[in-house]
Amino acid sequence: MIRRSIDVRRRLDTLRARLEREGEGTAPSTSVDDAAERLARAFDAHEARQDAAGAVAERLVAALDVIPQGIVLADAAGRVVFRNRVADAFAGARHSEALVEPVITELIGRAVAGEAETRVLDLYGPPRRSIQLRAVPLDDPDVPRPANGDAAPPAGAFLVVEDVSERQRLEAVRRDFVANISHELKTPVGALGLLAETLAGEDDPEVVHRLAARMQREAFRVSDTIDDLLQLSQIEAGSLPPRDPVPVHLVVTDAVDRTRSAAELRSVRLVVVEPPEDLSVLGDRRQLVSAVANLCDNAVKYSDPGADVTVSARTDGKTVEIDVSDNGIGIPSTDLGRVFERFYRVDRARSRDTGGTGLGLAIVRHVVHNHEGEVSVSSREGEGSTFTLSLPAA
Amino acid sequence: MNADREHPTMAEIRTNFHAELDALRADTVRLAAMVTERIPWGTEVLLTGNLSSAQELIDADDDLDVLSIEVEERCYQALVLQAPMARDLRAIVTALRLTSELERSGDLMVNVAKGMRRLYGLDIDPKLRGLISRMGEEAQRLMHVAIDSYAEGDAAKAAAIDDMDDRLDTLHKEYIQAIFECHRESSIDLEAGVQLALIGRYYERIGDHAVNIGERVRYMVTGWLPEHTGAARAAARKPQSEGIADPT
Repeated sequence: MIRRSIDVRRRLDTLRARLEREGEGTAPSTSVDDAAERLARAFDAHEARQDAAGAVAERLVAALDVIPQGIVLADAAGRVVFRNRVADAFAGARHSEALVEPVITELIGRAVAGEAETRVLDLYGPPRRSIQLRAVPLDDPDVPRPANGDAAPPAGAFLVVEDVSERQRLEAVRRDFVANISHELKTPVGALGLLAETLAGEDDPEVVHRLAARMQREAFRVSDTIDDLLQLSQIEAGSLPPRDPVPVHLVVTDAVDRTRSAAELRSVRLVVVEPPEDLSVLGDRRQLVSAVANLCDNAVKYSDPGADVTVSARTDGKTVEIDVSDNGIGIPSTDLGRVFERFYRVDRARSRDTGGTGLGLAIVRHVVHNHEGEVSVSSREGEGSTFTLSLPAA
Repeated sequence: MNADREHPTMAEIRTNFHAELDALRADTVRLAAMVTERIPWGTEVLLTGNLSSAQELIDADDDLDVLSIEVEERCYQALVLQAPMARDLRAIVTALRLTSELERSGDLMVNVAKGMRRLYGLDIDPKLRGLISRMGEEAQRLMHVAIDSYAEGDAAKAAAIDDMDDRLDTLHKEYIQAIFECHRESSIDLEAGVQLALIGRYYERIGDHAVNIGERVRYMVTGWLPEHTGAARAAARKPQSEGIADPT
């Protein structure tokens, strides 16, 4: 900028010198000097404004590059004049992301023709993602509206690309939770009402006995659900558990003892790979036992008779990992990401047979989060599942 | 306009031609993306028994056909109008061959969706479900590597696909064995068993198409095809056999 300004001044000096030569013998014109000086100042001011605008544009581009959405701007002919870093990544993408670019081109084409459109692209990946593309025509405020009242032709188009996978997942969790909780509570309560009604008009002692037994089972089911809900709400609402060192072998032994009768009933063998006695985690023993017992209970329920459920623990010095593995039916990959949701059922019909409230894994997740740990699952249908609790070592 | 500028210069022709080759490669990669997306889609359709999604997958095959025809025609145009040589010629011929391999792989996933409709209502054994899921993942992995090798022009990566396909073949054998076991235990009837076996075959064939793509990529980069070895052996045998056949 400075160099260009010097150039202008040099040219003005040359012009003044020429004028002076042409008018030799006469006094130099002060009006030419003034005009030249004013022109140079105006030029400097213009350059300064241009530089300031350039700096703002640079900052804007830098800001657009750090946002998680992709931004594409096109001119009136549909030519892309700007795309930020996220949008740029789609241009040379391979595999599933290569399918985004043709949609960008299509929607920009529609937007410059005056048609706004939003489209969601479901990509199977992996990872599975939902990409939302929203394109709108851009108005130019300097272009006057046609006399007949029609909209002025768009001056260009603006398109936003956004990964809405997490938003959609949370929406599904909320929607399913409301449906599932009403199902889990209404079904046994409805059954109780019908059974009581039938019981009132029944004289046969054998039938009365059978109906009463059914009512007792349904009442236990509601009670179990309410107990689990209360436990979950206590874990959610409670303050952080005490950070005392808890020996892992005691947690595992208590949890396995709690599940042993259910395992024997289903002829499933509980195998404990004895952890070292000095291996400890920081936290609340009661909550940790509850989490591991829930995992063992789940593994037993979904194992075939004669199968093994193995509990083991290991450490890298900072974290202790407790694994609960089974060779049961496994979890479909489409459900793997959702099994820790409250009341989520992979197979509703089978869950009814195996009992349970649908809250066990949600309790596990909350306990682990309270202990600043993580829970993960790897599973393959027909081969089994392994749930892993990662907790800070004491 | 200057009369001389009505005709593009040789340099402009070359630049345009290479831009056309880049666009052809980008479209082939997009075609491959459409196909590889259909592998997990078809697997999910099969394992969830989602009829409407199956129909969508079947209908979406038309889009695949449209793009594959477009790519094919552009290959013919480039061959006729540019008369390419050496590496450029091999790049166009490879794109042409890849189009048919990819289009066929897409058809195989349509067959999976149609197979699901025939099996609708069948409670597929968890072991079979697990193996179907693994075959799907393996087939998709092979396709990914095949397309990466094409986009990067990486002959070494392309050469690895043949060995990688052994895993899919092993899974396929395990799957067929599991179908026999299920049939022996009477959990599936013969008709369902045959249908499931055919579905397994579709995944295994996708692996074979990925291997073919790998071979074509090697040809694009090096000018060599595995068939050249056999052809060389045949050529070496020829004078000897001719000598025996014609003693005069």
